[in-house]
Amino acid sequence: MRQKTDVLQGTLALMVLKTLDVLGPLHGYGIARRIEQISGDLLAVNQGTLYPVLLKLEQEGAIASEWGTSENNRRARFYRLTRAGSRQLQAETKDWEQTAAIIGRFFEAKAKDLS
Amino acid sequence: MKSLKRFLSRLGHFVTRRRDDERLREEIEEHIALQTAENLRAGLSPVEARRQAMLKFGGVETMKQDYRAQRGLPLIENPLGDFRNAARTISRMPALAAVIIVSLAIGIGVNTTIFSWIQMILFQPMPAVNSAANFLLVEPRSETSGYPGASWLEYRDLQAQIPSLRDLVASQMVPFNVGAPGQTERTHGQLVSGNYFSALGLKPALGRFIRPEEAERPGTEPVIVISYDYWQTRFRGAPDAVGQKLRVNDRDLIVIGVAPREFQGTLVPLKFELWVPATMTPALLGGARDLEDRSSRGFSLIGMLGPSATRQEAQAELTIAMAQLARDYPDASAGIGGEILSFWEAPRGPQRSLISGLAILQGVMLLLLLAVCGNTANLMLARGSTRQREMAVRVALGAGRWRIVSLVLSENMLLALLGAGLGAAFAVWGTTALRIAPMIGAFPILFPTKVDAFTLAFAMLLGAACGLIFSTPPALHLVRLDPQDALRSGPNTPPRSRARKVLMGIEVGLASVVLIAAALFLQSFRSASQADPRFRPEGVLLAAYDLSGRNPTEGSDREFAARLLERLRSLPDVEAAAIATNVPVDLHGIPRRPFTVQGHVRTEPGQDRAISNTVTPGYFKVMAIPLLEGNDFAEMRDKAAPPQAIVNEEFVRRYLNGADPIGRRLQTRTQSFAIIGVARNSAYDALGEPAQPAIYFSYRDRPQDQGEIHLRTRTGNEAALTSEARAVLRDLDPMLPLYDVRTFSQHIERNLYLRRIPARMFAVLGPLLLGLAAVGIYAVVSYAVARRTREIGVRLAFGATSSRVVLQIIRENLGAITWGTAIGWLLALVISLHAFPNGPLSLSVFLGVPAILLAVATLACWLPARRASRIDPMAALRHE
Repeated sequence: MRQKTDVLQGTLALMVLKTLDVLGPLHGYGIARRIEQISGDLLAVNQGTLYPVLLKLEQEGAIASEWGTSENNRRARFYRLTRAGSRQLQAETKDWEQTAAIIGRFFEAKAKDLS
Repeated sequence: MKSLKRFLSRLGHFVTRRRDDERLREEIEEHIALQTAENLRAGLSPVEARRQAMLKFGGVETMKQDYRAQRGLPLIENPLGDFRNAARTISRMPALAAVIIVSLAIGIGVNTTIFSWIQMILFQPMPAVNSAANFLLVEPRSETSGYPGASWLEYRDLQAQIPSLRDLVASQMVPFNVGAPGQTERTHGQLVSGNYFSALGLKPALGRFIRPEEAERPGTEPVIVISYDYWQTRFRGAPDAVGQKLRVNDRDLIVIGVAPREFQGTLVPLKFELWVPATMTPALLGGARDLEDRSSRGFSLIGMLGPSATRQEAQAELTIAMAQLARDYPDASAGIGGEILSFWEAPRGPQRSLISGLAILQGVMLLLLLAVCGNTANLMLARGSTRQREMAVRVALGAGRWRIVSLVLSENMLLALLGAGLGAAFAVWGTTALRIAPMIGAFPILFPTKVDAFTLAFAMLLGAACGLIFSTPPALHLVRLDPQDALRSGPNTPPRSRARKVLMGIEVGLASVVLIAAALFLQSFRSASQADPRFRPEGVLLAAYDLSGRNPTEGSDREFAARLLERLRSLPDVEAAAIATNVPVDLHGIPRRPFTVQGHVRTEPGQDRAISNTVTPGYFKVMAIPLLEGNDFAEMRDKAAPPQAIVNEEFVRRYLNGADPIGRRLQTRTQSFAIIGVARNSAYDALGEPAQPAIYFSYRDRPQDQGEIHLRTRTGNEAALTSEARAVLRDLDPMLPLYDVRTFSQHIERNLYLRRIPARMFAVLGPLLLGLAAVGIYAVVSYAVARRTREIGVRLAFGATSSRVVLQIIRENLGAITWGTAIGWLLALVISLHAFPNGPLSLSVFLGVPAILLAVATLACWLPARRASRIDPMAALRHE
């Protein structure tokens, strides 16, 4: 149960970093929307889970936040990628691609390849 | 790095909790507002738009929980809450908490006090000296007779030959007669090498210290450094004390400086007041040959390791140097090697006697603390069972096992730390009391112990360990609790009481071990102090004089003693009078002298040594030691008789195989004596010791400038002789003080002092422990009985008599107690057989202690049982 959440959190964190990398500073809602558009139903039910992830990234220094004004002229918290964050993103992207490639090969492997 | 950053940020949030909550709330509102606006654009009604937005966001409270867990420091926040809760819980049970805290405080206080002494010896063997723990002892070691000390010339040689030790320092303790004629006062000081103060790194409180060149040539610099206390009491702290003259052993010395406040010399716990250059020895001690004589080994050496040197290097250098000295000076140094030792390894002197006693004491007191812990665990367990329902509710509401454990732990830790705090306060009081009341004996003793940060840490550590120990049983019990069970059953179901009974057994067992140890110790102390000394101390007055200040010769010493004895014997109340160089049963022991005796050939290498005392005729009469053969010594002024010696029975048995000793020749290093008599064995070093060979020499043959006057009274009131004796001495020499006047009984009493401290501790703590065990048993039984009210009611209603009920309750509990006592008894038996393999087993202790323990335990069971049996059955059944 807990492990699943951890995996989710890890994935979410990566998505947040990528989103901020591509789109620049965004508030929480904007990030949630963007992830929703791309990932489908990952955040469809629980957009709220995003905020603990944002906090964790901020504590780690991967992102920074400051108050700004949203589209409908309200006070909103804007998050942006820090330099450490973009380094982390690069590293994790590489990791992720490697892992994905390995897992992919495993799944494609037939019984006779392994024997 | 990342985790550190996160921790710091979390710490920050921990402080700014409230503002962060506000920020999150705003963010959530904004998020939902934006989503609502989006939904409105998609064409939903305002109400539906907001509802959808909320749904999409998910559980706000769960998210907030996650968020807070992520943000703050749950590891700190939870315990903080627990401690607040614990404080509330404890304040609701003041009586129980008081018993627990006070009993822990006593246990921890006693242990901390003892630890502060041990700590002093380990880490701060010289108060006011910063790097004291870095100093090492340099002890010459003789193959045959232990550690004799170093001579001055040896010190000078070693100084050059052990480069690994920076600043080798020499000191020798000496008693001085200070003051003007007729009103001199005996004060203890040290003769020191010139580098003494600089090597110790001390700064004078006033004036300056002895310079190295002031201890180069004999008798050149009549200077003296005084202690801070001496400055305060004798000079009233006057700044012009420096430069004033102080009359010491009838010589004027100039006060050049005052030592720092807490400095008391290098032989803690002895306290010295004066420091004089060692080169003043011949001038002050009447031509003593300490500075030239290599066999006069009065100095103690200490030195600090140089920056890059190791103890092994120093030891190697010392071994080589001592071997060289043994070759160069075979008379004085043959067979003498050397050892580098830490202060706590001190092989002789007051430190040695202290250390061995303290280690045993600490062990026993830790056992006592363990028994207190057992007691507390039991009380907490008993109380814990009444809280089963509370815990069950907590578990049912979702508290994890660890939360329950940490709840219990924090309650107990709070109790334990309160106990440790109070215990530390006890220790402060105890060490202060010991510091303020210096022990007056032949030597001034002062324990310079303080409760410092280190000792406090020890107290807290003990407290925490105790807390952990007595938390474990209740925590285990609660963790295993099934909430459904606990909620279903009322508080009146009989609890599973196995754990409590086992604990009760363990506690009683520990108590019996400690009590038996205490009783054995007290008994050995009592039997030692009541053992027959084989001389008669009652009715004897002791007083010392010291001629060493006035350049005496053998002839003048002998004549002085002879005149003194004549005058004393002419006093009407004096039955017999004598002078001796040593008094038996002295803390510092009696010297042993090497000898050879006609008719005995030593087969092993080395020398035979026997206790030696130099006495005047009449000594055996004063001491009431019968002469079994031969006669007393010749009169003091007898010039015809050859040098004489008297030996004791053990000497004859061991060295002459019981052959007739009279007339045989006995040879010491310098002189030859004829054995003229045999005295009965008596105690020399300690009361109740095994017989030791001893030689008495005659004062006539070996006059000394120091002497202990022994007076036996005719009237039975020996103390009344004091003023007459003083008057006699003043008549003979107005400059000479009569010091250390005491009755022989007081002398024995004083020298048992160091053994009496632990004896007193046991005398107080033994009954206390018994009381604690009783309280523990009482509490456990009354809790158990209270929970069985209904059962007892049923029994009574069915016709059981109350005495039957009482008997049954006692029988149930006494089982565990008996087991505990039996195991503790066996343990104590094993320990005692191990520690004193040949000693007689004390029946009164090994039967008496368990009997008392069982009697007290039975009483502690009986009280609550009787109360329970008196209830009205109807009321009991209606209960709940």
